[in-house]
Amino acid sequence: MADAQFDSALDLLRRLNPRDTKANLQAITTIVPDLTEDLLSSVDQPLEIRRCPQTSRDYLLCDYNRDGDSYRSPWSNEFDPPLEDGTVPSERVRKLEVAANEAFDVYRELYYEGGVGSVYFWDLDDGFAGVILLKKGVTAGSQSSGDWDSIHVFEATDRARMSHYKLTSTVILHLANGTDALGEMDLSGNMTRQVEADLPVESDASHIANVGRLVEDMELKMRNLLQEVYFGKAKDVVGELRSLAPLSETNRDRATQLEMIKGMQK
Amino acid sequence: MASTIELASAFIEGAPPGEEGDILSSLAPAFERYNESQLATVKLPGSSQEVIVSEFNKVEGNRYFDSESQTSFEIDHTTQIASNAQSSPLESQNADLIKSLLKSLGIHAKEHYPNCSYGVYPIENDSAIAILLVANRYSPNNFWNGRFRAIYQVPVSSSSTTVTGKIHVDVHYYEDGNVALNTTKPVKIPINSVTAESIISRTATAERDYQEELNRAFVRMAEGAFKGLRRQLPITRQKVEWEKVGGYRLGQDISGGKGR
Repeated sequence: MADAQFDSALDLLRRLNPRDTKANLQAITTIVPDLTEDLLSSVDQPLEIRRCPQTSRDYLLCDYNRDGDSYRSPWSNEFDPPLEDGTVPSERVRKLEVAANEAFDVYRELYYEGGVGSVYFWDLDDGFAGVILLKKGVTAGSQSSGDWDSIHVFEATDRARMSHYKLTSTVILHLANGTDALGEMDLSGNMTRQVEADLPVESDASHIANVGRLVEDMELKMRNLLQEVYFGKAKDVVGELRSLAPLSETNRDRATQLEMIKGMQK
Repeated sequence: MASTIELASAFIEGAPPGEEGDILSSLAPAFERYNESQLATVKLPGSSQEVIVSEFNKVEGNRYFDSESQTSFEIDHTTQIASNAQSSPLESQNADLIKSLLKSLGIHAKEHYPNCSYGVYPIENDSAIAILLVANRYSPNNFWNGRFRAIYQVPVSSSSTTVTGKIHVDVHYYEDGNVALNTTKPVKIPINSVTAESIISRTATAERDYQEELNRAFVRMAEGAFKGLRRQLPITRQKVEWEKVGGYRLGQDISGGKGR
């Protein structure tokens, strides 16, 4: 029963307007409080930003750096509000996490030229796992805006001189535009993709490069996909609803073309 | 709207034995609001013709009126099935204009909307006319659905008037994701001669101009905000050299590691 409810909730959120995911999630968990924990960890929402009190640097909040009502800063490894015994990664995995934060900071600057990023790692029995978060918002003029949220969750499982990586990536992209000629236009959504790979590991440093390349390739792929769906597919569907060219002309052209093809086949 | 759907599903799931029908009918107002605002289309009984359900052609209760076939019908808002069709002549001082508008709108609709329904109705105690057009394309096999709605109101009191209304486009794409386009374009067109030809020619132009503007907006978004969010490649045109940007520190000094 609970499983069926959970699946129904996910199916609803997959169909309802992605712009309203947060409100819809709240409504569902008000009705079925038992689903709250499971839904919060499975449904991706736009990331929230908080400032680290120790380092004065911004970091991103997600379920993976949350313990109770506190969030861990990747820059200080401290929880805010402070926690006595908050869950932190092991010493080795924290070192990896620090290195990954440095590496993805460079990545963020190169690709996003701004924005906020955070990387969180945690220990697994046979390896480790992590999440790479990237967020950027732009406003151009008073009525045009865009928000990009990347959420990359991976697991790295130890093999002999190799590691098996499984990456699940979600990008939430929201674009809005408003002018007198256009009225209001809102293009919102999210797309998710997965990839798995076995890659050689010489030292812990290899993990940063391996995960870095997997995320970099995935983001390139997803950026192209988003471009295709947001600006290609959506526009095509509008063209399917309404034809700019008169349909009688289009149909006449098509008939002429068919005649020509028939003629050539004779 | 969305939370209504959530709450509704909880009510349905919580229905006592044999009472799901009663629960459903008590939720009918939500379906009614959806059907009227989305310009739901229903087939008239014994006909393949699809007619619109809206606030503008509501007779009373669940009964609506189609001016082209001069028929009224009842709709079950939860199933979107029409029944009890009755002949119902168009009674309006603007009957001639409404009939001409239907004719002109029909010709225009056929030229630009591959799958659409439309209606023209007397509103506001016969002092104005509503012109509606809805075009739906559903392609669930390809994970997309779309709807185009144009809703206009024309006061018919003097020789000149102003058409006001809104055009809405809604597109949903959901293959391995959930992407929605929602648009609203307010329309205001002054009309000098209140004839069917001039009204439909102006609304048709507004729809064409809007589609062209929307197409330009897709390009603007792709070239503007989208590019400003994330580059396709770094400005150096080279991918990140991961060995140099973080991992090196781990290799050299495994005991180090305070963040900057």
